[in-house]
Amino acid sequence: MTTHAPRATQSVTLPATLDAAVAALTAMPAAVPVAGGTDLMAAVNRGQLRPAGLVGLGRVNEIRGWQYQDGHALLGAGLTHARMGRPDFAALIPALAAAARAAGPPQIRNAGTLGGNIVTGAPTGDALPVLAALEADLVVAGPGGTRELPVSHLLTGRELLGPAELVGFVRVPLLHAPQVFLKATGRTGPGRATASVAVVLDPARRGVRCAVGAIAPMPLRPLDAEHWIASLIDWDGDRGLAPEALTAFGEYVAAACVPDPPGDEQLPPAVLHLRRTVAALARRALGRALS
Amino acid sequence: MSNDAATAVPAADGPRPEEQPPTHGIGASLPAADARAKAEGTFPYAADLWAEGLLWAALLRSPHAHARIVSVDTSAAAALPGVRAVVTAADVPGDAAYGRKVADRPVFASGLVRHHGEAIAAVAADHPDTARLAAAAIHVEYEPLEPVTDPEQAFSAEPLHPDGNLIRHIPLSYGDPEVTGEVVVEGLYRIGRQDPAPIGAEAGLAVPRPDGGVEIYTASTDPHTDRNLAAACYGLEPERVKIVVTGVPGATGDREDPGFQIPLGLLALRTGCPVKLAATREESFLGHAHRHPTLLRYRHHADAEGRLVKVEAQILLDAGAYADDSSESLAAAVAFACGPYVVPHAFIEGWAVRTNNPPSGHVRGEGAMQVCAAYEGQMDKLAARLAMDPAELRLRNVLATGDILPTGQTVTCPAPVAELLRAVRDFPLPALPKDGPEEDWLLPGGPEGAGEPGAVRRGVGYALGMVHMLGAEGADEVSTATVRVHDGVATVLCAAVETGQGFTTLARQIVQEVLGVEEVHVAPVDTDQPPAGPAAHGRHTWVSGGAVERAAKMVRTQLLQPLAHQFGMSTELLQIADGKITSYDGVLSTTVMEALDGKELWATAQCRPHPTEPLDGAGQGDAFVGLAFCAVRAVVDVDIEIGSVRVVEMAVAQDVGRVLNPAQLATRIEAGVTQGVGAALTENLRTARGLVRRPDLTGYALPTALDAPDIRIVKLVEERDVVAPFGAKAASAVPVVTSPAAVAAAVRAATGRPVNRLPIRPQAAVAAPARS
Repeated sequence: MTTHAPRATQSVTLPATLDAAVAALTAMPAAVPVAGGTDLMAAVNRGQLRPAGLVGLGRVNEIRGWQYQDGHALLGAGLTHARMGRPDFAALIPALAAAARAAGPPQIRNAGTLGGNIVTGAPTGDALPVLAALEADLVVAGPGGTRELPVSHLLTGRELLGPAELVGFVRVPLLHAPQVFLKATGRTGPGRATASVAVVLDPARRGVRCAVGAIAPMPLRPLDAEHWIASLIDWDGDRGLAPEALTAFGEYVAAACVPDPPGDEQLPPAVLHLRRTVAALARRALGRALS
Repeated sequence: MSNDAATAVPAADGPRPEEQPPTHGIGASLPAADARAKAEGTFPYAADLWAEGLLWAALLRSPHAHARIVSVDTSAAAALPGVRAVVTAADVPGDAAYGRKVADRPVFASGLVRHHGEAIAAVAADHPDTARLAAAAIHVEYEPLEPVTDPEQAFSAEPLHPDGNLIRHIPLSYGDPEVTGEVVVEGLYRIGRQDPAPIGAEAGLAVPRPDGGVEIYTASTDPHTDRNLAAACYGLEPERVKIVVTGVPGATGDREDPGFQIPLGLLALRTGCPVKLAATREESFLGHAHRHPTLLRYRHHADAEGRLVKVEAQILLDAGAYADDSSESLAAAVAFACGPYVVPHAFIEGWAVRTNNPPSGHVRGEGAMQVCAAYEGQMDKLAARLAMDPAELRLRNVLATGDILPTGQTVTCPAPVAELLRAVRDFPLPALPKDGPEEDWLLPGGPEGAGEPGAVRRGVGYALGMVHMLGAEGADEVSTATVRVHDGVATVLCAAVETGQGFTTLARQIVQEVLGVEEVHVAPVDTDQPPAGPAAHGRHTWVSGGAVERAAKMVRTQLLQPLAHQFGMSTELLQIADGKITSYDGVLSTTVMEALDGKELWATAQCRPHPTEPLDGAGQGDAFVGLAFCAVRAVVDVDIEIGSVRVVEMAVAQDVGRVLNPAQLATRIEAGVTQGVGAALTENLRTARGLVRRPDLTGYALPTALDAPDIRIVKLVEERDVVAPFGAKAASAVPVVTSPAAVAAAVRAATGRPVNRLPIRPQAAVAAPARS
């Protein structure tokens, strides 16, 4: 007697359109959608996941590029990190391109996708703080048609993807202003972020938006620090800030994201260092965005 | 072609046009025979093995660091369809415990669990998933106990083992304890837990034999010891257990811990079927031995000119739960606690103790690497105190041939330490990035990192290191090799395992050199061959290489004797080169093929270096056969706000005795330096209350190509060691020992921080920016 699972019972579907993918998932609720597979297949190899079926999204061409839509870019969820890292994309959304270039070794960047980064929602996902700072919206395709939700709702768990729902597109505003993504890792080679910061300028709304990644389960937005620093910037002038203001911004962001413990307790040295790192990253990121 | 074998062709062997690098023999950069197969992915490793009808094994490992096992219930697991055998401690037919020095480690934990990941049971099933599910279905009732995780607490804690918590204590005392120096510096150093992290995780295939024995195919680096340990646990004679060594996917420590092989063979004996086990990365991290985490307390006394007067040190090695090789590691740590410096008075106290932390054992440079980081930290402190140049201070104290180690052993081998240090010191420093184009800058944090040029400081640091070669303290270091020549092709049979150190390539070169035969094959290793000992401490280059040379020379004599007899000259007057035999005067010239005349020549020889003695109660004794030295200059860039470090360049000068294969030697040094950089910056298997945190290669960061610095081999000092075959010293371990200390010294120079802990944590490399 053998317990070998006959491979044939594992169904793999390769739909060519988003609608077909939704239909395939509706038809087989136990199936798991897979795009780059950089997280999913690692879990399968470790024996932590045995999907009854897979719906491969690699042939859904409509989600592999991007289009423009009234001042926004509608990014396909199947965009790979490698594609987002290229100069033409970097001219459009510089911070997302920087995050894509920083995300792991080339093999991972060639396979891993924007949508996968969002749906996996790992704290160290490099695209996530950028999307949070950009206040991106997700266009979700499902059996009942499409709906939109802010990316932060999905990342914080305020709204979840329903059965057979797929992230099809990510709607990102085109701000035509500097954006910076910075990441601290434990080594020179590709590694997971110990902390990351995205800063985007929104001159039309006279706003600065900042998100800090990797230090909490989801990207953190230091809203008070954003409003305060935006109020200091001369939006009609050269947008410069004194070094002291940049330093204060960094401290403000760091204190908001790595709060003091209650009472007289001291932060442990490693956490204190994390706070210093966030402060340095936020200061550098804003400095580079304004320079 | 030539039926007149004795035709004189003297010109053919005249002085060569010079100076082509040799293509074979000693000194040639002969490539490894298996390099192509490895690069193409066709080289068979143990994880690739297959046998018809094989079963898959899985181990149940303890989730606790310290617990009492109340009960083990395997009935649910055994009842799963597809499960063929479940074994626990009760099913071990022979010795219940094994160990290299002391048999203190149970095959399966029964009463007590002493570390996270200790094996409790093993399952064989017809599918790997079934085996894993069955292992998970074994019900073990634990009563968790308070783990002893601080080695300093091990002295007073309840014994973790019937043998007690103290594995070894060496109170080395050398010179006059009352002497003091004008300058005294003290320091406390902590070295983390480096994992050998072999690229291929453990794997093996066990096949039962019709005679009731078992054959285990695995990547053992010490097959005979592993066989003996396994046979004792199975209650079989050693001859009925055979270990066949498969391709070794990387080894910087002991490959394939017996705790993995012994259950595998047991399952094969139990089921009568071939059984295969391929460890996951997590199991690999939990199962095999790591470098000893070490706590070191030092006090250096020096005079006002910076000459060392006295060194006092306390060294505490965390051995984990079982003894393994800890006693030898401790001997190396204590003996080399002062480094390659002349110290007239030394008082070093070393302990190796049991804890509930992950097991420690042989990882190359063990003992010596931890103390190097500490004594070099002390030398930097002393230089700062005396306002001296760190290299100059070291030069005033370096060891040379004829000096005496604190163990009382006289250094009789070449010890060109001053020459090595001068070589790295005088080598030009790498250019600052500001002189190059901005897009080529690689700042700390990486190409897409957060590095900011204004926050980056450069530092330069020096370190000198030493290791012993071969087993120490009376270990019988012997190796046996056989050389066979037939049809113009030579074959080497020797149980020395090719772990990546390049032994098979060296063996081919040695035979080419001695016999003039171009085509040399090295046979695969199994335990039916005579033992050659563990692949550690550079012993195969020395001992097995020596045995191969002797056997080849015996074959040479057999080959030349008839010719010599025929022409009335001694064999010494004949020489072999490029497959041709010529006499000194050119009268005789024939080919090896002609001389062989269809005969098959065999010879077997042994090499056994001169004996050593154990360290005595005061840490004194001639414990080491040979010593190797190295000097490293590290250049680092540190982002002083974030604390990220990038090693820019490592300049290495090494005492190698003689270069046998230049290309292979360079790769060994580069690999060693890179492993040292990992130990200095990222490699630390972290634990929390004895439980390993993140046993994967994301959490445990090995250096990648971007982390590896430019490695400049500045000088290779070739002073032949007269007692070593060919005068060559093993080269792999000493760069591992020296590099972490050099990186720490450079980070000290860049930041002005003390840097007394390895790997260097980012918060320790943060400094206040200098006003500029």
